[in-house]
Amino acid sequence: MPHKPPTKEELEERKIVGIKDETITHVSSSDFPGHYPGEDHSWDIESFRRGFSVEFHQNDPFEASFSLIGIDASIANAFRRIMIADIPTLAIETVFINNNTSVIQDEVLSHRLGLIPFKGGHEGLHNFLKWWRKPTDESEINNSYYDNNTVSLRLEIQCEHNEKAAAGETDPTKLYKHAHVYARDIEFCPVGRQDKYFSGADTIAPVNPDILIAKLRPGQEISLSMHMHKGVGSDHSKFSPVATASYRLMPVIKIERPILGRDAEKFMRCFPQGVIKLEKVTKKEAAKKGSGYEGHEGEDKAVVADPMRDTVSRECLRHEEFKGKVKLGRRRDHFIYLVESTGQWESDAIFLESVAHLKKRAQDLEKQVQNMVR
Amino acid sequence: MSREEYQVPTGSGSPTVGGGSFNAPAARDYAGEGGGAIHYICGDCSARVPLDKATGIRCQKCGARVLYKERTKRMVQFEAR
Repeated sequence: MPHKPPTKEELEERKIVGIKDETITHVSSSDFPGHYPGEDHSWDIESFRRGFSVEFHQNDPFEASFSLIGIDASIANAFRRIMIADIPTLAIETVFINNNTSVIQDEVLSHRLGLIPFKGGHEGLHNFLKWWRKPTDESEINNSYYDNNTVSLRLEIQCEHNEKAAAGETDPTKLYKHAHVYARDIEFCPVGRQDKYFSGADTIAPVNPDILIAKLRPGQEISLSMHMHKGVGSDHSKFSPVATASYRLMPVIKIERPILGRDAEKFMRCFPQGVIKLEKVTKKEAAKKGSGYEGHEGEDKAVVADPMRDTVSRECLRHEEFKGKVKLGRRRDHFIYLVESTGQWESDAIFLESVAHLKKRAQDLEKQVQNMVR
Repeated sequence: MSREEYQVPTGSGSPTVGGGSFNAPAARDYAGEGGGAIHYICGDCSARVPLDKATGIRCQKCGARVLYKERTKRMVQFEAR
């Protein structure tokens, strides 16, 4: 029997992960050589280029949502993992405590300081600042700090009684001066060429100035200095440039047979708002034999409006009246990313950097393989 | 570096870590005020109480008899992890 090439519908169908009421089917992709007899699915840059597209849904400085369409899960997951663990950021790494008489312990205080996200001039952060490596000889450590690998910060704060407080005041923030220590109290101490890269609007400062670091009472004091270094999320999550970097697959809702009247309204309520909308059955549809709309002119019918907003709760599969009328699924090659930046990078720049990073890694591997076979 | 590995700086008073232009702010000198007297913290009013050999263990301000030692004057180094 000669091979019949697949129709467009069949090709579309192959991309869908089936979601039944209690099972999930067709989980793995099948577009690889040898899976379909007589079809060539070997990877080809031209056919990838034809099938691939990027679509932005939201692009705010600190939150971006976009779709990569026509890409394999392995690559999509690589981008996600690189964004979380391999994009470098600057964070507090060492804390030198001169005095800390607050109730919060030195170790806990240091840990809290490390987790504060900082921002600064992009040119300085991404190009001027280099990696700091701990010298193998411990005694050489003081000669390893330079203006292009270490940023120095200070936190000096003392709590005192506020003489001007009204009698009978109970609010500690009014009763005492500096009862709360916030991230904005951290002071940046530029060294060497850092003045050039981190001044004015580009100064190194916490992204969120209102982060509470500690609480003090009169007589208590915190006096410390800090060193910031560049690092990656795989070393410690404080270096991760993203709060979340995740993806989900595009939901597919297929209404196979008409859902009408009160059923349509109930069907709409099975989904998050905006996923399903109601439309009136037109005269033309009602006139068509075998469409299921005969004699229902003017009634409401359920129509899929925006499947991307669906959470795929499968609620509609629990109800008897929708049995056989609806098919749920997800598109296996449509990844909807959500990237939320902690503030040091623009959220879309994090993704672009992850692409550059994967490319560089691939080129490094290519070089190594070439050396291996030589 | 964990706390156990930490080496006490040899130069008394001035921390050696962060040398060169990265000097941490110098530790304040608590002793040397009031000549020979050691300062304690009152357990009741948290005032700084200078005590020398002759005086009794008592806060001069509120008369409380519970006094605490002050925190070390040495710089302590931690990793922010």
